[in-house]
Amino acid sequence: MQNADGGWPYFPGKQSWLEPTAYAALALHGEPEAERAWKLIESWQRPDGGWRPAADVQLPNWTASLCVTIAVARGEFGGAFERGVSWLLESQGVESAFINRAAAKLGWLEADRDLSLTAWPWKPNTSSWVEPTAHALVALKQASAKVSSDELRQRVRMGEAQLLDVRCRDYGWNYGSRAALGVDLPSYPETTALALLGLQGRAELAQSIALATNLTRDKRSPLARAWLRIALRLNGVEPDLPLGPPLRDVVVTALDAIGAGAKLELLRTGALG
Amino acid sequence: MKMKRRDFLPIAGASLVAGYAGLTGAKPKGRWHPESSPVTIIKARSYSEDLASKIREGIETCGLDVRGLKILLKPNLVEFDPATCINTDVAVVAAALEVFRSLGAAEVKIGEGPGHRRDTYAIAEMARYRGEIENFDDIFTDLNRDDVSPIEGFADRGEIYLPNTALRADLIVSLAKMKTHHWAGATLSMKNFFGLVPGSVYGWPKNELHHVGIDKSIVELSRIFRRSFAIVDGITGMEGNGPIQGKPKPAGVLVMGSDLVAVDATCCRIMGLDPQGLQYLRMASDNLGITDSKRIGQRGETISSVRTNFELVKSFQQFRLA
Repeated sequence: MQNADGGWPYFPGKQSWLEPTAYAALALHGEPEAERAWKLIESWQRPDGGWRPAADVQLPNWTASLCVTIAVARGEFGGAFERGVSWLLESQGVESAFINRAAAKLGWLEADRDLSLTAWPWKPNTSSWVEPTAHALVALKQASAKVSSDELRQRVRMGEAQLLDVRCRDYGWNYGSRAALGVDLPSYPETTALALLGLQGRAELAQSIALATNLTRDKRSPLARAWLRIALRLNGVEPDLPLGPPLRDVVVTALDAIGAGAKLELLRTGALG
Repeated sequence: MKMKRRDFLPIAGASLVAGYAGLTGAKPKGRWHPESSPVTIIKARSYSEDLASKIREGIETCGLDVRGLKILLKPNLVEFDPATCINTDVAVVAAALEVFRSLGAAEVKIGEGPGHRRDTYAIAEMARYRGEIENFDDIFTDLNRDDVSPIEGFADRGEIYLPNTALRADLIVSLAKMKTHHWAGATLSMKNFFGLVPGSVYGWPKNELHHVGIDKSIVELSRIFRRSFAIVDGITGMEGNGPIQGKPKPAGVLVMGSDLVAVDATCCRIMGLDPQGLQYLRMASDNLGITDSKRIGQRGETISSVRTNFELVKSFQQFRLA
């Protein structure tokens, strides 16, 4: 299923994209296929340190986090890694910009969260959301073994606090907010799992882990089940989540492989000391 | 009115909270052609009726010729909901597929890119699409994860990446759901085009569109995808805090037409909502289509015979039609 350029598509027969390539590279870490994937990933890094999500897409986005995580897994701590970490440290949701914090303080902006807590957006100049924040936390906590800076530690602390700030009333996570128009939003299994991935090692997660364990009974989404398997195992729970039948979806296939095997350790971070 | 989270100002600029008239950039390109604005309203009380005949009647009444065209059906798939209040009902999608094939389309595919749930095939499964549409996986594209191409000229962003499956279609059929929307007022055939924007580039949700401005994005996407036709599923719509947390609202209609602005304006009137209260329709009116009821070629049922007031969120209650 690997394309000739070394990447993977979202679905067989399509162009390579960074997201499925990154997950497949983690699942196949140490194999020749992963070496070819890394060459492609390196070639997609932009001069500013961010990554293009596909060959023909010039915009950088959240997938930079996945590339930093892979770089750490491979022990690649050269220029690509350093520029990638710098890009992630500069990336933040616009809700935390000075103008929005000032507007909230003056009562012009109705904020549903603590705007002093910076987190990560899907792409620059947009708001922060659970999934890109979770991936950035994994990447930066792993990078902290090589990059010991106050800035990095501060961003990780703020990102974790932001995730906890937007946690739903039932201790899980919707995709970004805990309520809309005053109505509580439901927790989703995939975003609850991703938040637990980003918050690994935190002490105040018992109720969230219990909820995630309950969410494994929801059999509707193979993607959600794949993330729940990864998140629960990394948080010390062995879920009763048998693998489903093979799918055409490369992301789910790769995440299933990561979650079911030893490559899971490539996503382990623990808490930042 | 206070700004909400989706209105947070981009670091680079502070223009997004302005209305359309206050934004830089030209009005949407292209002019309205009155001869292309028939809108057909057809009663359909339940999803078990012969919807194919009704959709065929609507298409023919609107004078749409699809022979030889590559068609993309774009339903509104949002959430894991088998009860059909949130998503376009599978019966409407299956009927449209059958009709467009029978009318001589060269190819009919289905594509959707849900706004916040990433597992599109699982949503399609729960909405019964995979079970009730033959060979669904062979004709369906997850537009969030399709290959993409850049299109120049999207608001002040310069360009937007859009899925090749949509760009290569000769005609996009917006199979929208008739729903209220807490930010836009209503989500109908034009707002449904948000699902054409790829999450693989912009994320889940497609927050870029919120920062450009929901109304401006609706208009811009409709301008890009001008070769379109609308079939709005109002058999059971959604009222109140839509597009997700509202309540089912049986309206018993299908609304169809090639002028999506006229279709949406007509749907609003059916819902008891003044189209002029919706910013995106004000922006699109006389540029992309028409909202003036006197200039829309109304066919089929009259609006008054099918009107049923949808419950509106507080911010849109001032636009309740008399």
